[in-house]
Amino acid sequence: MAEAFATPALPLPAVLQRLAGPLAARLRSGRELAALQGVAIHDTPRPAPWSTALPGLARLLPGGLPRGELVELTAGRSSGRFACALMLLAAATSAGENAALIDLGDALDPQSAAPAGIDWTRLLWARPRAVREALAATEAALTGGLPLVLLDLGLPPLPGGRGAEAMWLRLARSARQHDALLVVTSPYRVAGPAASTVLELTRGHARWSGAGAAPRLLAGADGRLTLTKAHRLLAPQAQALRLALPA
Amino acid sequence: MSRLACLLVPLFPLAARLRAEPELAGEALAVTAGNGAAALIVAATRSARRLGVTTGMTLTQARALVPKLAARNRDGACERAAQEALAEIAERFSPRIETAGPGLVFLDADGLAGRFHPGSPPTQNSTPEHELGRALLAAARHAGLPARVGIAGSKLAAQVAAQTATGSDAGDDAAPRVVAAGDEARFLAPLPLARLAPELRLGETLTRWGIRSIGDFARLPAAEVVSRLGPAGAELHTVARGVDPRPLLPREPPLDLTEGSELEWPLVTLEPFLFLAHAALDRISRRLEIRGLGCAHLALELTLEPAGHDARAWELPAPTRDTKTLLTLVRLALEARPPGAASAEGAVAIAAFLFTATPDRTRPEQGTLFGPPALSPERLATTLARLFALLGPDRVGSPRPVDGHRPERLALVPFAPPAAPMILKRVPRAATPPPSASGKGLLAVRTLRPPIELEVLVEPRPADREPAPTHIQSLANESNDKRPTIAGAVRIAAGPWQLEEGWWSDRPVAREYWDVELDAAGLFRIYRDVATGRWSADGVYD
Repeated sequence: MAEAFATPALPLPAVLQRLAGPLAARLRSGRELAALQGVAIHDTPRPAPWSTALPGLARLLPGGLPRGELVELTAGRSSGRFACALMLLAAATSAGENAALIDLGDALDPQSAAPAGIDWTRLLWARPRAVREALAATEAALTGGLPLVLLDLGLPPLPGGRGAEAMWLRLARSARQHDALLVVTSPYRVAGPAASTVLELTRGHARWSGAGAAPRLLAGADGRLTLTKAHRLLAPQAQALRLALPA
Repeated sequence: MSRLACLLVPLFPLAARLRAEPELAGEALAVTAGNGAAALIVAATRSARRLGVTTGMTLTQARALVPKLAARNRDGACERAAQEALAEIAERFSPRIETAGPGLVFLDADGLAGRFHPGSPPTQNSTPEHELGRALLAAARHAGLPARVGIAGSKLAAQVAAQTATGSDAGDDAAPRVVAAGDEARFLAPLPLARLAPELRLGETLTRWGIRSIGDFARLPAAEVVSRLGPAGAELHTVARGVDPRPLLPREPPLDLTEGSELEWPLVTLEPFLFLAHAALDRISRRLEIRGLGCAHLALELTLEPAGHDARAWELPAPTRDTKTLLTLVRLALEARPPGAASAEGAVAIAAFLFTATPDRTRPEQGTLFGPPALSPERLATTLARLFALLGPDRVGSPRPVDGHRPERLALVPFAPPAAPMILKRVPRAATPPPSASGKGLLAVRTLRPPIELEVLVEPRPADREPAPTHIQSLANESNDKRPTIAGAVRIAAGPWQLEEGWWSDRPVAREYWDVELDAAGLFRIYRDVATGRWSADGVYD
């Protein structure tokens, strides 16, 4: 490298070109340059992702769902969307975190959801009547500092449409600002580019016990969880989802 | 000898008005008493006084001098609120305060000065008591009240010190005036006798005696004054000597905070009223901040024109000081039911309003070192209040299981999460045991509230089995409009299961439940009402 500086006749671009080769050979990252200079680089602490008890999700998103982002979970009827929502809430509240469920469809039945293991004392339940109210309530919950806000848009038709794109971007920004995880579960994509992670659930077959003359009983349902959008995701990845009916 | 501080707001009716309408501060403004041509000016801003407006003039005379003079009538609600605010400022410094009149508050300053340290080097005007005075002035300025402060050993001396405080510290504030302990008699001596405000006959007697100043009167022998002027004269003589004949009468702080205004023009539309309401709620919020409390209950009383009153009240889920939240509550309630909506007299206007806030302690906050971060009680209270305002109190809370079997039942309790655990609990990782074994990964039921009415075709089965549904279709009626559509041939049906509840009551429930899987539409929980024979879907397995 010293020779490059010792050749005053060369124009500057040529000097830089000569420098680039040896530098690239010696340094592969800014971290190495810092090590050469004796400068310590401290990583900005990234908030720990949300651990969940969602079967299959750990394999799709190692560590859990990313904090400070908007995660969208879409699914048709009977695909296990509400079950996933309850499991997320159960994982958060049983760990001592507070959470909010913005329940547009007014779908929660505390009695039948009890086996999921949600700590009710840590759950704020809001029951809006329209999408507009639901979005406003979600924003209020995020502003209130709740670390997990789950917006369930219920079954179609959604009362009041999909909501404005600007509002979804605003919610995503609010989630980032408050370092909260915002999970939107909906029958179809609504958040658009505001969602940093998108999961799709597809319905499989229901599992029944009993056949022939024996009384039939619903035992559970199968589905498929597909990660369609995430940071550094090159192609969709899928995992089987197996849900059982509480005994 | 005790020390007293006097907090005095000169031209109090004007100061109270400017506190409510601070944008008028630089204008030529006069506050009047009375109506029409008989309206007399009781106070005027400096801009107006410079142009020749004086108290006692009629408004017509003043407008002849200053045609653009803004005028406001005296507002009892404003003045009461400003008086309360002044008392609360004093209470920040001492628990023993006395409200002695409009814009006049005394507080016990004994031992208070020790908390205030003058800068170095100390000068005659930078003693701890001067610092106390400056702190009082700053607090009053923050509350929107231009005050003066006097500190002395007696009420009269402190009041006179406040009235005669001159020299500017900053802006319009006069520097606090302090009368050294034991110097009260000498301080009062040169003042005219009128400062003592003697009764008319007593004043005439003293004038006949040739007494012109307080000092002349104080020098008379006390025993002779008592024998000639009686108890009233004795009391006046004590005051003249710089001693208080009666101790400070501490006030009982009121439970509620009020802010309001009598409007110059009745307001027909809501927006201008909300603009004024915002300012009033903001003042309440600042007063609550002084006390370190939040608003737990808010009431609004509206005086309507041509006649009538309208009263509203809001119970806050948790005490809050957030003006925006309180205003949202007011806005939503008034938009939902405009003032005087039930009135038979048609259109009404708001002529005066009064907010009353019942304060309560805000929830304490306790952080943890290793557990999850706790919710800020203040922020949580604000959030809950916003959700209440947005959705209504019956749609926000913490769910609880209820005894019984009907899926549509629910119970809500106020959301008050317990303190965060000291250590973050471990969350089971998803990769671990299969859902059915761990109890997680359970299929849930999405409840349909209210149930969706159905038309169901049933097919007879062998004699020992109940007829089973074969095709279901949601009814096309008004109640099912904008609800999820359920339609399709039944692939598998399981049931029936009997549900019976409240058979002892006058509203018994008897249902036969079925789990059905439709060909392409999902898994539903449907039931037949035994009493009516009607079919409904009350849940979707999801």
